[in-house]
Amino acid sequence: MVEELVPTDLELVARIKAGDEGAFEQMVRRYHARIYSLSFGVLRNAEDAEEATQDAFLTLSRKIGTFDESRKFFSWFYRVALNAAYSRARRRPALPTVAIEDHLPRFREDGHLAAPEPRDWSVAIEDAAAARELAARAEEFIAELPPAYRDVIWMADVEDMTAAEVADVLQISIPAFKSRLHRARLYLRQKLGEISNAPIRREAAG
Amino acid sequence: MKHDEMTCQALILKFLFEYEERTMPEEDRREFEKHVSLCPPCVTFLSTYRATGKTLKMLKPGDIPPTLADTVIAFVKARRERGK
Repeated sequence: MVEELVPTDLELVARIKAGDEGAFEQMVRRYHARIYSLSFGVLRNAEDAEEATQDAFLTLSRKIGTFDESRKFFSWFYRVALNAAYSRARRRPALPTVAIEDHLPRFREDGHLAAPEPRDWSVAIEDAAAARELAARAEEFIAELPPAYRDVIWMADVEDMTAAEVADVLQISIPAFKSRLHRARLYLRQKLGEISNAPIRREAAG
Repeated sequence: MKHDEMTCQALILKFLFEYEERTMPEEDRREFEKHVSLCPPCVTFLSTYRATGKTLKMLKPGDIPPTLADTVIAFVKARRERGK
């Protein structure tokens, strides 16, 4: 059997520009899951994410002529997809977001932690059920973040994108990426700590 | 408690990210580890920060609809034909 060479993104782009329908389909099969996942990160809803994915590929098919091939296709297309998701998000009522500063660690004047963690709740994640519960709550906490933080932590820590990729897609600097990701992680740590340290509810007696 | 050179505040706000990314200069790294070895609240902070990272790794964007690729292809085709 002759092994078929997998075309690169740029080879597919060139073929799509030349009107090759098969190349477009190949691009859809290559990227649909990642684009869906990115859209889901912004929209938090399966139906909206699916529609935003369709919008993204429609824009791809219409605007591929404007793609500058000296850039990474991946970054360009992620940007297109992000805009499609933002545009869909704007059509529905905005969800309330938290003020991240209110949930970051506080320090005394001498630089010591003002309120050290009452106990080390990290052991909780060794229990699979407890870890799943925390992950589910983490997803809710991410959804409450202002978009600038939400998108960075979703892409970096859930989607496993590199710093350079996220910075390129969001058109921010690497230091801005690092600062936002760190603050988002600190926020998540704080919120997960609050629910882990909450007193266990006792069953109502008798 | 003697960990004056690097405060908890500097450790958490300024250095923790680079420490976890392993992109920290050796000298800062030694200071960081020295502080942590003397500061139980920072030990707990570090382990819960790491637990947060592990929790995030468990998150998945939900199941990808199995027919999504076909739906997208059909959608784009229909819209293009409508546009002709």
